[in-house]
Amino acid sequence: MVNVLSCLLKRKVTADVLARDDEIEALGQEIRREVDAVFGGSLAIRELDTGSDNAAEIEINNLTNPHYDVERFGITFVASPRHADVLLVTGAVTHNMAAAAKKTYDAMPSPKFVVAVGDDACTGGIFAGSYAVLGGAEKIVPVDLKIPGNPPAPKEILAGLLALMRQAGKNR
Amino acid sequence: MAAEERREKQAVRELLGAGALSERITEGCNGEWYLNVSEPEFLPLVTSLAARECALIGLFCTEHFSPGAPFSLLYVFEKKGILLVVVLDTAQSAPSIARLLPSACWPERECRDGFGIAFLGSFDERRLLLHETYPDDYHPLKKSIGNVPPTMKSSVEPSGEYPFRGVLGDGVYQIPVGPVHAGIIEPGHFRFSVIGEKIFNLEVRMFYKHRGVEKLAEGRLPVDVVRIAEAVSGDESVANTVAFCIAVEKIAGTHVPERAWALRTILMELERIGSHLGDQAGMLVDVAFPLGASQFAVIREEVFRMNVILTDSRFLRSMVVPGGISRDIRIEDLEALRQFVRQVRKRYRTGLKIVLSTASVIDRFSPTGVVRRSILRPLNITGPAARASGGNGDVRIDHPYGIYSQNPPSVRTLHDGDVLSRFTVRAAEILDSLDLIERLLNCLPEESVRVVFEAKDGYALSLVESARGQSLCWIWIRNGVVERYKVRTASYCNWLALEHAVQGEIVPDFPVINKSLNLSYAGTDL
Repeated sequence: MVNVLSCLLKRKVTADVLARDDEIEALGQEIRREVDAVFGGSLAIRELDTGSDNAAEIEINNLTNPHYDVERFGITFVASPRHADVLLVTGAVTHNMAAAAKKTYDAMPSPKFVVAVGDDACTGGIFAGSYAVLGGAEKIVPVDLKIPGNPPAPKEILAGLLALMRQAGKNR
Repeated sequence: MAAEERREKQAVRELLGAGALSERITEGCNGEWYLNVSEPEFLPLVTSLAARECALIGLFCTEHFSPGAPFSLLYVFEKKGILLVVVLDTAQSAPSIARLLPSACWPERECRDGFGIAFLGSFDERRLLLHETYPDDYHPLKKSIGNVPPTMKSSVEPSGEYPFRGVLGDGVYQIPVGPVHAGIIEPGHFRFSVIGEKIFNLEVRMFYKHRGVEKLAEGRLPVDVVRIAEAVSGDESVANTVAFCIAVEKIAGTHVPERAWALRTILMELERIGSHLGDQAGMLVDVAFPLGASQFAVIREEVFRMNVILTDSRFLRSMVVPGGISRDIRIEDLEALRQFVRQVRKRYRTGLKIVLSTASVIDRFSPTGVVRRSILRPLNITGPAARASGGNGDVRIDHPYGIYSQNPPSVRTLHDGDVLSRFTVRAAEILDSLDLIERLLNCLPEESVRVVFEAKDGYALSLVESARGQSLCWIWIRNGVVERYKVRTASYCNWLALEHAVQGEIVPDFPVINKSLNLSYAGTDL
């Protein structure tokens, strides 16, 4: 009771988070412009892991931390492929994930884009040729852009998304 | 040293009891003991080891290990300070021990998939690694099967689909989730059987990411396997690589310089901090407390950036190599790390105070998702998850490697076993790791960080305490190349803790319980 009361009455805690990075800000402004021009104000991304070592997921997740906070630039991560413009594929495609990966792609509305994130998704990486994988993402879905890296840093993923939007804008 | 060896041998003998068996033990390269047993000896021995409170921490198969035997099954038993590997040679079958030691259940299924070993009396004959589309009677880890993709089945009949354990009855319904989840997470399938809002049973189906890590290492030079060990699980790159390096270094008799060990330890503890911070931030997101989550996410990003300064890699990759570390770290970068540790400690404490004094967080964390102490040993639950449930195991203390014997961490044990306990144990470990890094920075020995590593033939078992707990690695080198690389990460064991922890909880609490166990799918599926 006392605890509840003290929680109600005490000063609310907030804290400034000092996390700004000029390079990211500049990149973000460019992304914002492309998102507005090409994707009507918001770019909806669905992440699909087909067999990564989880490092690429961590970096994609990091895009939402306060240092990057990409929602500011019009990028949102959506829970369903039915809401997505872009599919970010990470990892070599394993046999065990192939069917689910294909279904995820098929569930997306057109026009849709696929970006392979990380060496394994680009080419199969060190797992190319293994009994358990098909290879890179292009073995099951058409890939529009590849972002190499082991894994690519958040900044590189953002630069990749910018390149994708510019390419999409030109092809319209 | 010799006295210690004798004492250890005595301890193993006591464990085995009087009789011929204890005379036959032989010592391995890394302080583990091997014992070859015949089939009639096997079950009585396992029964007595189970009765003497040994945990089965690993079970795997390898080919042509013992002369004249096609397959050998290696059962790794652990009891504080003692590691005993029971070797059972077989042509194609072995008795199942999963009823006696439940931690044998998944590994038995794994050996059946990989090598075609039949486990007699097993209660679970379903495939584990190989999902429905793999051909029948295909056992990819056999040497006679090349590392090339097999001809997969193009379609699967409904009768060939994976049979989940059906929980039936009035009012019980099933919620299938995955393999593709709503968030940015790895794939896996959760089958909930629910009554009303309460979870009656959860069955976890994994191995969607099975990418053939172990087979990939075979036939390669040990130095070339480092890259594969790093890919076992991205956020455990250092831990799994260190485990691999310890094994090959012990086989070769390589003496790694103290400075290399000090730097390796700093990297391992940085990795632990990064992993725990990400996990804590995730737990706070799952209970809708972004203020706390942001504090930790900010620090974590800074840890990643510090990692780049030190190693040019956000995941501390390409540093740990057999014989030491690949390059020394510059003195000014180490100084930057020292400053960083100091300011992070202060900010972390502030963040922690906010979180732990917020009623809405405590209300969601406690008493949610309890892992009972009684399941720890039978399932070999490990790491912070076990220490939050009254366990006191920590490889850094029980089987110290590198310089941990001179720098033992304190064991942070709590007893409630709920989400709050797991959060709090991690908080204490982050602060301990920061302290340890600072201590090591203050007394770094001046010497080279790498010695020449020359691979030798042999085999060794190594254990490492990753952020998630005990990580096991067994290497067999033959003709200078890797003949068998077995990895078993902490996540592989702890997935089963999740099945137990959610029973009786409501479905909306599942994400935070899952996050509080912080399991790696990649590290499980290999």
